This record gives sequence, C-alpha cells and structure tokens, in this order.
Amino acid sequence: MLALQILIDGFAISALYALGATGFTLIFGVSGVLNLSHGAVMVTAAVAAWAAGSVLHLNPYADALVGLLAALIAAMATYFVSVQPIQHSRRIPGEEKEIFILTATLLWGIMLQELVAYFFTNNAKTVLPIVQGVVSILGVRTPRNEVFTAIVCWAVIGLLWLLVNRTKMGKTVLAASMNPRGVTLLGHELTHIYIVVWAIYGILAGIAGVLLGMFLGVSSYSAGPLTASAFAIVVLGGLGSVSGSLIAAYVVGYLETLTAYLISPAYRSIPALLLLVVVMYVRPQGLLGRR
Amino acid sequence: MPSRFRSPLLWITLAVLVIAATLPWYVSAYILGLLTVAYYFGVFAMSWDLLFGFAGEVNFGPTFLIGVGAYTAGILNSHYSVELYLCVAAGALAAVVAGFVLALPALRLRGPYFGLTTLVAVLILQSFVVVFADLTGGEIGLTIPDVLSINAGVNYWIALGFMAVSGAILFGLAQSPVGLILQASGQDPVQAGALGFNIIKHKLAAFIVSAFFSGLAGALMVFYMGTASVGTVVDLAVGVQVIVAAVLGGRRTVLGGALGAIFLIVAGEFLRPTGELATFIVSSVALLVILFFPNGFLGAVLSRGTRS
Amino acid sequence: MTSTWQATPILEVRGLTKAFGGLTAVKNLSLSLSAGEIFGLIGPNGSGKSTAMKSIMGIVRPTAGQVLFQGEDLAGLPAHKIARRGFGMVFQHSRPLNRQTVLENIMVALLPDSLLKVFADPSLTRRAREIAQRVGLEPVLDRRPPTLPFADLRRLELAKAIARHPKVVLVDEPFAGLTLAEVSVFSELIRSFRDEGRAVLLVDHNVKSVSALVDRVLAMYLGEEIVTGRADEVMRDETVRRVYLGGAIETAARPETSFKDKVPLLQVENISVHYGKAQALNNVSIHIHQREFVSIVGLNGAGKTTLFNTISGFLPYAGEIVRGGQRMRGLTPAQVARSGIVQCPETRELFGEMSVRENLDLGGQHLDDTERESQLAWLFDLFPILRERQAQMAQTLSGGEQQMLAIGRALMMKPEILILDEPTLGLAPVILEQLSKALEKLRQTTPITVLLGEQNVTFALPHADRVYVLEHARIVWEGDPGRFAREAGVDYL
Repeated sequence: MLALQILIDGFAISALYALGATGFTLIFGVSGVLNLSHGAVMVTAAVAAWAAGSVLHLNPYADALVGLLAALIAAMATYFVSVQPIQHSRRIPGEEKEIFILTATLLWGIMLQELVAYFFTNNAKTVLPIVQGVVSILGVRTPRNEVFTAIVCWAVIGLLWLLVNRTKMGKTVLAASMNPRGVTLLGHELTHIYIVVWAIYGILAGIAGVLLGMFLGVSSYSAGPLTASAFAIVVLGGLGSVSGSLIAAYVVGYLETLTAYLISPAYRSIPALLLLVVVMYVRPQGLLGRR
Repeated sequence: MPSRFRSPLLWITLAVLVIAATLPWYVSAYILGLLTVAYYFGVFAMSWDLLFGFAGEVNFGPTFLIGVGAYTAGILNSHYSVELYLCVAAGALAAVVAGFVLALPALRLRGPYFGLTTLVAVLILQSFVVVFADLTGGEIGLTIPDVLSINAGVNYWIALGFMAVSGAILFGLAQSPVGLILQASGQDPVQAGALGFNIIKHKLAAFIVSAFFSGLAGALMVFYMGTASVGTVVDLAVGVQVIVAAVLGGRRTVLGGALGAIFLIVAGEFLRPTGELATFIVSSVALLVILFFPNGFLGAVLSRGTRS
Repeated sequence: MTSTWQATPILEVRGLTKAFGGLTAVKNLSLSLSAGEIFGLIGPNGSGKSTAMKSIMGIVRPTAGQVLFQGEDLAGLPAHKIARRGFGMVFQHSRPLNRQTVLENIMVALLPDSLLKVFADPSLTRRAREIAQRVGLEPVLDRRPPTLPFADLRRLELAKAIARHPKVVLVDEPFAGLTLAEVSVFSELIRSFRDEGRAVLLVDHNVKSVSALVDRVLAMYLGEEIVTGRADEVMRDETVRRVYLGGAIETAARPETSFKDKVPLLQVENISVHYGKAQALNNVSIHIHQREFVSIVGLNGAGKTTLFNTISGFLPYAGEIVRGGQRMRGLTPAQVARSGIVQCPETRELFGEMSVRENLDLGGQHLDDTERESQLAWLFDLFPILRERQAQMAQTLSGGEQQMLAIGRALMMKPEILILDEPTLGLAPVILEQLSKALEKLRQTTPITVLLGEQNVTFALPHADRVYVLEHARIVWEGDPGRFAREAGVDYL
C-alpha cells in the first residue's frame, strides 16, 4: 500500500520536475545560458494564476492562462534584460560573458522574486485546481489533480518532442543547439531563434509553475529552492541533454518521495544532494552529459 | 614592481583609513554598526576578487567558505564554550580545509563545471545546517554567547583594522611575483604551463588564501553579530552580494571589493524606508552596473591609467 | 646559410603518435634535431604539425612514442616540467598581461615556479632588460601591451620564450601577420638563436616563406611524414608537389569577355581586414561575373578564409563590397546568405547529430515542398552517395561524404553565388575525382556563379575561368588559368 502510494506520488512530483528541468536544459542547450531566474519565473506564473483567481475571480482555466502569459512575459524579459545586452556588449570580454550572464540572471531572479513579494506578500498561495476530487488507483486514494498534473506534464514534454523533431522551426532550433554558425550560414538570424527558444521556455516554465501552484502551492520564497532543484537535476542528468534531465528528474523525484515517506519530510532534499556530490566527484559531466 | 602604485593610490588609501578610524568619535552607534558589517563584507569581496580577478576562477558560492568558517567558530563557542580567539582560528582553519576539499576536484574541471561545483557546495552546506538543527540552530540560527566587544566603537575599530590588514596582504600578494604568476595562469593557462608554471598548484594556493580570509572574516563577523544563521552567512543571495560588491568595485583590483561592499551596504541602508523594495532596488542598480559599467568604480579609473 | 650543426642530436622524436578519440592527428612521426640547427615542420591545415609541436612541448599528451631530450624520455610529462628542462615555445597568438609593462611581462617568464616569491628579485630586472635588448624591445620597456604595434607583441613572445636560455626553441607560425620587412627582421632574430647554439623547431604551413631560414625540413600530410631533407630538395620532391599542389594541370577557361553582365555581379574593392593588430587582408580587390567560375589560389594562412568570411558578412572591413550595384555593408551574415551568396566553409559546419537528409532539408527550408523535392532529386543525381546515406548521422560519414553533404546543403539554398573554401583539404584522390566531376556538371548545366578557394592547384584550375593568387594578405597575380600553369605554377610551392 505504502509502496504504491510512493510510486504514484513520486511519479507525479517527478513529472513536474521533469517539465521544469526540460525548460532549463532547453535554454542551456540552445543559447548556452544557465538561467538562475528559473524558479522566479515559475513562481511568477503560479502567483499570477492565484491572483487571477482570488482577486479577479476568474475560472480556473482562465487563471492558468493568465499564469502562462505572466511566465511568457517574465521569460522574454529575462532574455532582453539580462542575456541579450551582455551577449552583444562590446565592453565585456568574450571569455567573461558566461559569468556575467549567470550573475545577471541571478540578480534578475532576485528582482522578480522581490516584486512578487512586494505586490502579493510572501505568504504561501495555492492556485485553484482545474480538476478536483479524488480517484482510486489500485486501492490508493489519489487526488485527481495529481493525476492531471502528471498527464499534462508528459503531454507537454511529448508536444515539445514533436515540435523539435517534426516541425521546421523545431529542427532549426535543434540545429542551432548543435552548431550556431551552421544555421547562420543557412540564412537564419540567431537572435530570432533565441527569441523563439525563450518564448517556448516561458510557456514550459509557466505550465510547470501553474501546475506546481495547483499541486503544492508556492510562495515567493520558493524561487530559490526551485532553481536549485532544477539546476541539480540538470547537472545530474548532464548539461545540455534533455533525456538526461528526464531520467535525473525521476531519480531525484523518487529519492525525495522515498525520503519524505520513509524517513521524514524535513530531510527530503538530502539524498539528492548527496548524489550530486558523488556525481561531481566521479563523473562531473553527469549521466548523459555532452558539452 | 609596486612603484606604479606607490604614489597617489597609497596615500589616498592611508588618508581614507585615517579618516575612517576617527568616525567613532562623532558618528552614531547605528552607523558604526552598519560600517562594521560592511568592512567584513569588504574582506569577503576582496578574497573573492583574488580568486576571480587573478586566478580566473569564478567562485559562485563564496558563502560556502564563509559559512564553514562562521559556523565552525559559532558551534565551538556555543556548544563547547571554547575561547573566542581559538574559535576564530578554528573557523579559519576549517574554511581552509573546506576550500582544499572543494578545490581539488573542482580545479580539474573546465568551463561552467567549476562554477557549478561551487554552487552545489553552498546548497549542500545549506541543507546540512537545516538538517542538523540541534547542532547549528537550523533555520532560526545559532546564538553565540561570546562577543568581540560590547562597545560599538571597539567593534568598529576591530573590523576596520582587520579589513585594512587583510586588504594590504591581499593587495600585496596580487602585486607580487606570485600574483603575476597567478594572473598569467588565469589568463592563459596553456602559455603559463609552457613558461614552466604548475598552474594547478598556484590556483589551489589562491583558493586556499581566499578560503582563509573568507573563513576568518566570517568567524569574526559572527562574534560581532552574536548570531550565525543561514540568511546571513550561507544563503546564495548573500554570495551574490559578495560577487556584486567585487564587480561593482572593479574586478582585478582587489581594493575595489572593499569599495563595492561599503557602497552596497550603505545603499541598502538608505533604501530601508522603501521596505520590501529595498532589495529590488539594490539588485536592479547592481544589474545596471553589470550591464553598463562592467569594469566597476576602480576598474574604470585604473584603465584610464593604462591607456596613457 | 651557415649552421653550427653538431653530430649528436639534442632532441630525438621517435614514433610520435597522437589520437583524439577516433581521429589520429599524428602518425608515427620521427625526427631529430641538433643544437645549432633550424628545423622546419611544414604542412597544410590538418597535417598534424601543430599537434606534433604541442605533443613535444607537453601541452597535449602523446598517445605513443618517445621524445628523447639529452637521453631522457619526456613524452607524457606536463608542459611546465618540460619547460623547466630547457624548452621554450613561441605561441602563434600573443596573450600578454595587459596591465603590466613589457619589462614586467618578461620578468614573469624569468620567475621560478615557487609559491613563496612574495618579493621581487632585483637581479631579475637586470636579466629582463638584457633579454628585451636582445629582441629589440628596449625602447618600449615601460609601455603596456595595448599600446604596442603587432610586431612588438610578437617580439615580446620571442623574449618570453628565450628568457631562461632554453636549449630547444619551438616556434609556431613565426611570420603570421607580419609585413615583409618585419619578416626579414624576425628571420635574423631566429637565425641568431641558432647561432647561439640552440636547437630551433619551426612549424609553418608555407614552405616558401621559411625555406630561406631552415636548415632542414620535414613535410607532413594527414599526420604522417612525406619526406625530410634540405628545403630546396623538399620543395622539388615529387610526392610533396603532388600532395600539396595536385598533379598535372588542364584548363578549360572561358574568356572574360564571354560573360554578358555589364557590371560584374560581385565586386570586392580594396578591402582590408585586421585580426586585432595583425593584418589579414591588405587592399584586396577581386570581381566576378555572373556564371563565372573564379578560383582564388593560395596556401593556408594567405587570407582566403578571411576574404570569404568578409564577403559573407562575419568580419568588419575597410573598403567596399558591391553586389549588382548595391553596397553590401551592414548586412548580417544571415541576410547575406538569404540574399543568395552561400558559403560552404572549410570547417563545413554540419549538424553532426542530424541525418544527411535532415541537414539537406534544413538547407532547403525556404523552398516550398515541390521545389524542395525536385532540388533534392537533382542533388542526389549530382552526389549519388548522399542518396544512399540519407538516413545516416552526419558525423559518422567519411571526410569526402561530409564535404559532399556540406556542398549539397549549400546548393539546396539555390545560391546565386556559391563560395567554396578549401573543399579538397584532407580528402583522398578518388573523392577529388568525384568532386571535380560534380563541379564540372554545375558549370555546364546551371547558371551558378562559383568562387573557389584552394591551395590544391590541380583541383582549382580545370574549372576556373580566371585565377587570383593570394599571398600574405594581398593579391599578387591575376589572369587566366593557362597562363598561371605556365608562369606561376613552378614557383608556387
């Protein structure tokens, strides 16, 4: 019984992690940026959805849409404020651009977080779930919302796969992640490609944020830990490898769930961090790391 | 070799230090307290710049070393009633060991992986503090019975003196032959190797020096503040402030770190009336500086000198 | 050309091999170097000469082989240990400490590898001055690198390399970026190192430029030695000429007057390009008519790739590039490609993890489906092997197949002007045949205009209507291929 519950809960939380990590990896793989404002973008989505529900009293579907839009805007702002100016800057030497972008995204993330706290306080908020009620899976009572979360996450990941592998635009983005100069030689402006990628990222982070808000709730303080866990997953899986992130998300998700159930919820993040230490020492490029 | 810096910079620095030392006689205890914290932050930033500006290694988690130093000192004092200065020494030593353990695998990594390792180290320390709450005080923090002094003026002078001495040592190192080797190793490791320098040895040494000063400053600071908590010595946001202070002041200047730290803390204080928005405003200013003045205060001043 | 050559070699390299994963850059290389000798290691890009030098210096770890220095095998030791045993290396790209003076930069080279040197040693200053004097840097001792001209920066590199009186001096591309006058000054300096009794190993892509300086030469191709001997012998060697230049030359040029456009389709007027302080192109002018095939002939490092990258919009330049009467200044590289000037670069820039078909489809993305299908069919006729390997991942193809894919992908964009940069580099002769046939077909059956950059003259000439020779950043010869074969070809190497 307990085993089944762990299996189900673990699956849902891992799916959520997987979605967030996929977005994070996408940005790194295509534009080489480790976006440290990731958690803040997700929180923005969740809080916007909550505000749409509590303040504007919209229905849950509209709330989700508002959250998505908020994340899209936040992601585009991240690109135009903390990434593009540095990439095009003539004052910053080439070798240092990566560090500057990292610091800039971190600062921007703090700014977003503080804005959210200022307008909406830093109390925890839950978004009204789209799907309510309870369903019984093999004898375990599971909230329908949890099932919904897992299904939506995987559906979105599937759609993303289709987009990247079956559409013209998606293939261009994939090609850009392999060889930016190559796509330029074929007549594509890299800036346009980056804008598309950040927009896709905004949508992914938005969906993940809204689902998280419905599933577990967020507060402005969640931004840091969310970035940290997405980041840990991506490092574990291997920077730039989407399949690596998916696998790592499940490893981390299940480790956390097992710990929470079998030892104590307070220690849930420890085993994953210990695993991270081992990986950093033994195989720093992660499970399926490429770059 | 130091002749270039003998004149204006040295005398200006001495003059500023003398003026700063007289502050306790006519400035309120509140402002003294503020500057005291700023001076410790100055040492954090200067040690970070030695590692980044010279060895070329970006440490994204300076608070790992600061936190290890601070908590070691705090725990020894709080749980085992060890004498204050012994705790501080132990804190510095612990930070050195931690720095060594972190640097050894990290220096073998290239590109973003080194930075990542330093970030991960902070996350781990943070979890450690939260989990072993009975030892560390968890999220509430550790209360530390001993203090350096109860007099605001004395605390201020201790901090000022410490910053001045640390600054002199770090700056001197940076300008010395050892500093030059470090700079060459950071800028072009392949060429430095071909010139006969074992760069890993030098970078490791830089890391340990940086760890020593960070840990020492962290340990001293908790004996000033009377508490040690995640929010003040471990949190990533604190680490970002250290990095921003060093960048604001000017990378590769060492002394710029002190300037940047003082600016940040004082500016943060001026913005306190805005309440929640204070952090937002400081972060946005820092972001603007990074985008438009990446060389920072001292950096811009010094580069005008190189061009002549 | 005197040399104080001694009987026993001071440096002996035996069976040096370096493999990077599946690619073997250096295969079983052996050479010996004596004190008081200048030895040249020559080869085009990809021949393995730079890797060989780096292996000797310890910058990369040899996979196999021995590097015997005064009897001791140094292979596998890290660079700093090899340096301390008496080796100095002059790097091709200068990276001095910009905030320190020239004197201080040289002093760094004199420092011991110690963690404890906190105070400066006064005797070091004196020694640094002496070295500066030796290489001609005395007038600029107290200035900082950003204020110095390029030649002085190169002198600084020489100074750093000889600072500790090494027994062996390795020099990577000694003359890159220097003017002709500076080249002779530097040659003198290097000769003086030899006359002091040092052993000097030069690496260069250009036999001609170092032929006056070296005592002996080893010519490399694809990681292996072709021949070793005196410079003039090597230049006349049949295998070397065939490998570097190709074999017998046939031409089939159409006279310039046969091209009907009133104004040349593309005009490159007096362009100059700098990489930092080094001049990469010096007042270069070329023009090309619609449907014309023009070959730019020149060895590696002459400036072909720079010229092509400038036309493609990647580099800032002085001068003008005019297409059909319109100035191209200000266009981004992607815009240039979309406007019909498509480059197939030397590095090919394929999407390695995608299939052949996906690479080609990406090239044809802007075409509608029917047009793309027909273009693809035409391309598969031109390069049948690509049809066979459609589903295969690009990075698993052989060198020749990758080159065909790169050209094919460029052709999918239906370019008006196709720029091909060194397509034959590193390819086997049988592939060259296929490429040659494909180019001929393009010339006969399509209205395409082609700008071909090659050092392999046998490949470049048969398809060319006109030839330019690019040497040391300038155009030194222009004319029809027949005349080139008679006049310039003999002296070319």
